[in-house]
Amino acid sequence: MSKIMTVDVLSSIKGAQPSEAVNKLFEVIKNANTSNNNASNNHNNAVSLNDLRDDVVVDSSATEKQIIIENFPKEKNGYLVVSKVIEE
Amino acid sequence: MSSQIHSIHQQLVNKDITCTALVQEKLDLLKQNTNNTVNALLDTLALDLAAKVDAKIANGETIGLLEGIPFGIKDVYMVQGTYTTASSDLLKNYKSAYTATAIQKLLDAGAIPLVKENCDSFGHGSSSENTIFGAVKNAINPDLVGGGSSGGSAVNVAKDYTVFSIGGDTGGSVRQPAGYNNVYGLKPTYGRISRYGLMAYASSTDCVGPIAKSIEDIRIVLNVMSGKDAKDQTTYASAEITPDSIANSNTIKTVGYFKNFIENDSIDATIKADFLATIEKIKAKGIAVKALDFFESETLVSTYYTLAMAETASNLSRLDGTNYGNRIESDNLKETYAVTRSENFSEETKRRIVGGNQVLSQGFSDAIYLKGLALRDAIAENFEKDFSAVDIIISPVTPNTPPKIGDSLKDPHAMYLSDAYTVGFSLGQLPTLTVPQGTATGLQITAAKNNDELVLKFANFLKDTI
Repeated sequence: MSKIMTVDVLSSIKGAQPSEAVNKLFEVIKNANTSNNNASNNHNNAVSLNDLRDDVVVDSSATEKQIIIENFPKEKNGYLVVSKVIEE
Repeated sequence: MSSQIHSIHQQLVNKDITCTALVQEKLDLLKQNTNNTVNALLDTLALDLAAKVDAKIANGETIGLLEGIPFGIKDVYMVQGTYTTASSDLLKNYKSAYTATAIQKLLDAGAIPLVKENCDSFGHGSSSENTIFGAVKNAINPDLVGGGSSGGSAVNVAKDYTVFSIGGDTGGSVRQPAGYNNVYGLKPTYGRISRYGLMAYASSTDCVGPIAKSIEDIRIVLNVMSGKDAKDQTTYASAEITPDSIANSNTIKTVGYFKNFIENDSIDATIKADFLATIEKIKAKGIAVKALDFFESETLVSTYYTLAMAETASNLSRLDGTNYGNRIESDNLKETYAVTRSENFSEETKRRIVGGNQVLSQGFSDAIYLKGLALRDAIAENFEKDFSAVDIIISPVTPNTPPKIGDSLKDPHAMYLSDAYTVGFSLGQLPTLTVPQGTATGLQITAAKNNDELVLKFANFLKDTI
């Protein structure tokens, strides 16, 4: 089921179109000379496996929980309301 | 200018002023200000904290250096219980559930938060016009932009509404407004200060950065905020920078500058002449100056924006009205997402999200995104080579003086190009400080990664030299 997704669908922004200002930037990249077209990953920010934080659950404070609930875009009985069915 | 933090601290200790009077005076100035720097005043919290500082002083207790010092916070930082809007419609009612690590460290040291400051929405802009709170007006000439994206923070410091402010710098958003308003603004080495609780724009270059009126105040605030944080695994441990370690510049023997930044048509003639005059003054002090080759401005800007847009498209995908944000109901789930995002994001934010999704799509990612990453590697390697030959790189902050309010929004591509001198150092993750000297919009001082101390040291030297 190959399907082409347009940028408006990918971005969840109605009627979105690629912009001329941004396309000009991409043209510069396409035409740039690089000695290596594959990112060599010299510049990665990956964390060393020897330096990971402890895998423990930390309970949030009552205040934090209360504010999180206040921020719910849609709330019912203290729970976040989400769509029952993800279409397609 | 000398340190305001030391001077206010002494006044508090000597009981020349009360902390409550100081905080009230700043709150009044912020409330009355016509530069559009304020998204929300934290007046109740600030006055409560000030009363506690006064009580301590009255009891004869010792107070810390930052205790009672009023500061501002760009409205992209979480401070528990305060609105954190990112100057956007989408989050205009969003309340922080927790406090950012960098801000918590300042609170722990006793500094008093006064204000959540106006900025470009989600950091998307170089002028602080992309905001639902009205364009930030420049501190020196209110017809001009305040710069961005941390425009409200730089203007507040310049106008003495805050003693220091905490901005955020992804591609120049602390350094450029600092330059436009003639104050100091530091983008530290990436990872020196935790990003936990800073709303993500482009995670691989986002930095927490202090804005202040003196090098000493930048040093004090930087020291307090720095350090490893388990909540941001890109952070690293760093040593405290002492006043003595930056007092003497005798270890700086060679300074470089990028000749293609200066020898081109897009730089303002006066900024160019002033920059070259500064170079001569540095040479006159016996420091060797080298002209360096660097990538074209267009390549730097395009590389930065390509990667930043890809990262922001990903980071902002969570803002869909289901998990966060001002939900607008529509016919079905997808329509609800689309209407929520279409109505609540600004044109500039939408432009960047769409651009990011373009470069991450099949067919584009190899030709643009991966090539952008390869260019970034090449830029970083270039910096490594340069810093084996020079101790410091100096450059102008911007090619031109601040535009009039309204002009940047008309031509987004021109606005992107105006970031030509700041974005390269972001891609290199290097420490860079704007100093309010040398050109109309200041100078940038950059050193190798993790060498923030050398940047402050050279700033002290420049202060006495030009």
